[in-house]
Amino acid sequence: MPAGWWTRNRHYVNYMLREFSSVPMALWMLWLLVEIQRAGGPPSQYRPHGSPAFIAFSVIVLLFSLYHSVTFLSLAGTILHFKVFDRPVPSRLIVLAMFGMWLVASVVVAFVLVWFAR
Amino acid sequence: MSTDVRRRPALAHLFWWFLFSQGGVLTALLLPVHVLVQGILGPLGYAPVVDRHYDTWVNMLGNPLVKLYLLVLFAFAFFHYAHRLRYFLVDVGVRAARSVPAQVVFYGGAGVVTLITLWILLTTAPLFH
Repeated sequence: MPAGWWTRNRHYVNYMLREFSSVPMALWMLWLLVEIQRAGGPPSQYRPHGSPAFIAFSVIVLLFSLYHSVTFLSLAGTILHFKVFDRPVPSRLIVLAMFGMWLVASVVVAFVLVWFAR
Repeated sequence: MSTDVRRRPALAHLFWWFLFSQGGVLTALLLPVHVLVQGILGPLGYAPVVDRHYDTWVNMLGNPLVKLYLLVLFAFAFFHYAHRLRYFLVDVGVRAARSVPAQVVFYGGAGVVTLITLWILLTTAPLFH
């Protein structure tokens, strides 16, 4: 198969974008790891990330990570199959539960990150 | 003709698939909010965020639950990324990405990142000092 097979069809391009999303997401997490490591140094030398380039990169990573979240959590309805009271749980309900969990997790993490900054 | 074929569960496959899928779920649930708050809102000054100041950041990182949370997030996420990136390379025609050495490099790399994360979490705002 030629290396450029995925450029022929929009669905293939979307699939490859989703696969590629791991690269910017990994880079951003390494950036976060550096910020964690910086807290080990003296207070006077602590500089959190905040350059325009970092913010611009974060915006790009946010788009990739949102795409990953929507596609990956939507897959749960296809992958997960279980029964409650001998009746199969509809896949739409499973996907809805995953998106609900995403909302709750996001609110909790945002609350912790902001509340403890006071 | 003998049909004595031994059936063994694909435990290695199960193991990698477990790491991959859990990493996918954890990053899907947790990464966007970290990027939005710590990468955009905090640096732009739209919200006070723990990592903008040394004291609040060190206090947070000194909490054992936060250390455990970050370790689990980084470990699963990087195994997920390793798996996806390897298959991305296979899909763009890099056949070597299928090989055992490539698997050692990618999953080993995820293991190295996990160990570095563990070391940073244990040495930054240490629990016992």
